Amino acid sequence: MLKHRLANFFSQYRLDYPRSLIYILQASEYDIGEYLTWYRQTQDFRRVERRKRLVYTPKAVCLLVLCWLLAVMLLGGTMMFSITRGWYVLPIVLLLLPVILAYGILIPLVLAKFLIQKPAEFFVIRNARTRLASHKAVKVSIAGSFGKTTMREILKTVVAEGKKVAAPPHSYNTPLGISRFIQTLNGNEEVLIFELGEHYPGDIKKLCDLVRPDIGVITGVNEAHLEKFKTLERTTATIFELADYLGEKRMYVNGESERARGALRRGHITYDRTQVGQWQIHHPHTGLDGTAFTMIKDDTKMELHSSLLGLHQIGPLAAAADIALSLGLSPEQVKSGIANTKPFDHRLEPKTDTSGVVTLDDSYNGNPDGVKAVIEFLTSLEGHRRWYVTPGLVEMGPKTEQVHREIGRRLAEAEIEHVILVRNSVTPFIAEGLKSAHYAGKVMWFDDALAAFAALPHLTVRGDVVLLQNDWPDQYR
Amino acid sequence: MKTVAVFFGGRSSEHDVSIITAHTPIIESLLATGEYDVWPVYIAKDGSWYADKAMNNIAYFKQDGWETKIAAQKKVQILFDNGLTLVWPGLMQKTVRMDIAFPAMHGTYGEDGSLMGLLRMANVPFVGCDIFASAVAMDKALTKQVLAAEGVPIVPFVWFTKHDWEQNTDELKEKIVRLRWPLFVKPVHLGSSIAIAKVKDEPQLENAIEVALHYDDKVLVEESVENLIEVTLPIMGNDEPRPAGIERPFNKAEFYDFNDKYLSGNKTGGGVNSQYSEIPAQIDAELAKQVEDFGTRTYRVLGCTGIARVDFLIESERKQVYVNEVNTLPGSLYAHNWKTVGISSVELVQKLVAFAEERFAAHQNLTYTFDSDILKKAGIPKSPGGTA
Repeated sequence: MLKHRLANFFSQYRLDYPRSLIYILQASEYDIGEYLTWYRQTQDFRRVERRKRLVYTPKAVCLLVLCWLLAVMLLGGTMMFSITRGWYVLPIVLLLLPVILAYGILIPLVLAKFLIQKPAEFFVIRNARTRLASHKAVKVSIAGSFGKTTMREILKTVVAEGKKVAAPPHSYNTPLGISRFIQTLNGNEEVLIFELGEHYPGDIKKLCDLVRPDIGVITGVNEAHLEKFKTLERTTATIFELADYLGEKRMYVNGESERARGALRRGHITYDRTQVGQWQIHHPHTGLDGTAFTMIKDDTKMELHSSLLGLHQIGPLAAAADIALSLGLSPEQVKSGIANTKPFDHRLEPKTDTSGVVTLDDSYNGNPDGVKAVIEFLTSLEGHRRWYVTPGLVEMGPKTEQVHREIGRRLAEAEIEHVILVRNSVTPFIAEGLKSAHYAGKVMWFDDALAAFAALPHLTVRGDVVLLQNDWPDQYR
Repeated sequence: MKTVAVFFGGRSSEHDVSIITAHTPIIESLLATGEYDVWPVYIAKDGSWYADKAMNNIAYFKQDGWETKIAAQKKVQILFDNGLTLVWPGLMQKTVRMDIAFPAMHGTYGEDGSLMGLLRMANVPFVGCDIFASAVAMDKALTKQVLAAEGVPIVPFVWFTKHDWEQNTDELKEKIVRLRWPLFVKPVHLGSSIAIAKVKDEPQLENAIEVALHYDDKVLVEESVENLIEVTLPIMGNDEPRPAGIERPFNKAEFYDFNDKYLSGNKTGGGVNSQYSEIPAQIDAELAKQVEDFGTRTYRVLGCTGIARVDFLIESERKQVYVNEVNTLPGSLYAHNWKTVGISSVELVQKLVAFAEERFAAHQNLTYTFDSDILKKAGIPKSPGGTA
């Protein structure tokens, strides 16, 4: 025990300690709150870079150099002082050095943010707003705690069958990210799709002021980012800032999200696996080869098939179909567009290896509704042995225990044959949920996700389905 | 937690293949269970023994200069004291006692029974075939002689030693000429298809024999099976052998050589090529039944235990099945094949460990020594210090 504590203490004096600090700052997108939470929870500073490595961006290099300069200046100054005044200061500075570095590096970060970054961002965003105001395209905005990127990609794929469409790449959903994307537009786009990111109250309103959407989609409300919002009411209010902005304009809301449904207003169009607007949905079916359903309205019937997996995808697909039709696409174009939709990177993306094991990479799905949908999908698979691998979900705030117990309970009810848990602060709650629901399968534990991934090829056989649920960035414990 | 020593490397042409087998799947699967303390025991090409847990990661053997790095390490010694103990000698001597040995050595000094003899002497349970099956299976000619005596179909062949060839070339050539050509020339002790050649005329034959005798001192020449379908059948178990899937390699060359087996696979194939084979082999049901029957019979006749793989040659037009050879340590345990019949690598190594313990327990019940008065009765003088 003493040996362990000593090892932890001296890990702050390793040469890679400054690099570890900068790495976590980078991993948390320079979110000081997230960085400080990690710092306060961390005792062992060895092997901080587990999932990824520090990327030497100009910002990271500057901070790293400043961190080392701070260390050298502190030690040098103390040595000079000690030579003339006595050595009693040196041990104190040595003792405090790791803490001074951890907090000291935030000073240039904060100064740069307010003196350089913010003013620069202000001008970039102002230019983008002006440019977008004169752009003729129909603007569709998507907000929600989960499923935004999937909705964006579905909509983009379907609308592209009949319109010139553009959307920011990756998860560019902040004012700066969207503004940079706006600079790349050539002006002839007919439809623009924006994903609106939310971290704090007021975020969506700010983005609406920038984007000025004509159509809105709310994909759902849940506990994602609850650590920052504190209450689900605040999350709901923030996401529905999009509805506030649109007023009477066309607003789609995911009816399968309980919280979103609870905030519905007159005139909103709900979508789910049974209907969207005036369309009724029939014959839903899903499997490892995709999802099929039929949309019927009056005399019009569309038999649709997508490579996306899970019945929960029917709602977003149907909403995209309805939006596309409202933008002037024909039913044939919509059918073709839906057929072109396929699983996106790390979002229930199936891969079959040479051993005949199907891996469903859902590592970008880290929200309770997504987990519920995926477990429902696993339940629908017959004749397969199923493996559920997860490090749990991050940023669940005060709901952490409840959310993870619920995951355990659902896994037990779905009779998933094998559950692999990665040791951290939240997975014990999943184990408790499994136990409380009398889970009869096998639970295996691994110290980190990489060890679990390495073991999986040795644990699985032909026909097995392995679900990789969520990622666990290094800044979380 | 049981302590397992995985032996690999060795003074064999299949040294590198052994490193792959040891790690994928053996060490990685043992570690994945979380139930074993795994000690990798690496035997270098010069015969030196090393054991270091850093070698549990195959990346160790992919780094530049790994052989030099290993050579700088302290060599490990083996202590037999009614069990197997690894000893790192020195002032701070360290010892670790092993509960189970898991041989992962292909070819000479490993798969040929040598290591099994050592482990029997140590009185430690060990995975895989015992010394007798290993020694016979290592000699392709001897295997065929044993199988032929038991009525298992094999391809007609002629065998000879280097000395025989040098002394009686004409006589042997006469015998060989009577076989139906084309022929295969094979060193009898080497695995992984090393130095095997198909010959169609006498100059090719002499050249192939010269090459084969460069690698081995005993060679066999056998008839080539035309309209050939090659299949292989991994089998595991002690008294009740259980076959895996019948596997058919897709040959790019005329026969399944070393490169096909180990070097042309993909990243996820686990060492042995899975991209170029079909499991289960799409062959006639009657042929498949014969393969399973002859396979399990061969396994029993040779006294195999734990795991082995029986290779077959099928004359597809005449529907004639021949047992070609037996491999007592299939590369990477043919884990890719076991997966297709529902046995994961982890389950495979766990079963093999259980088979090893079962066989060991059975051996413990056998009586090997008994008291006798033969020394008293023998007409030898009593000790010089005794009274006359």
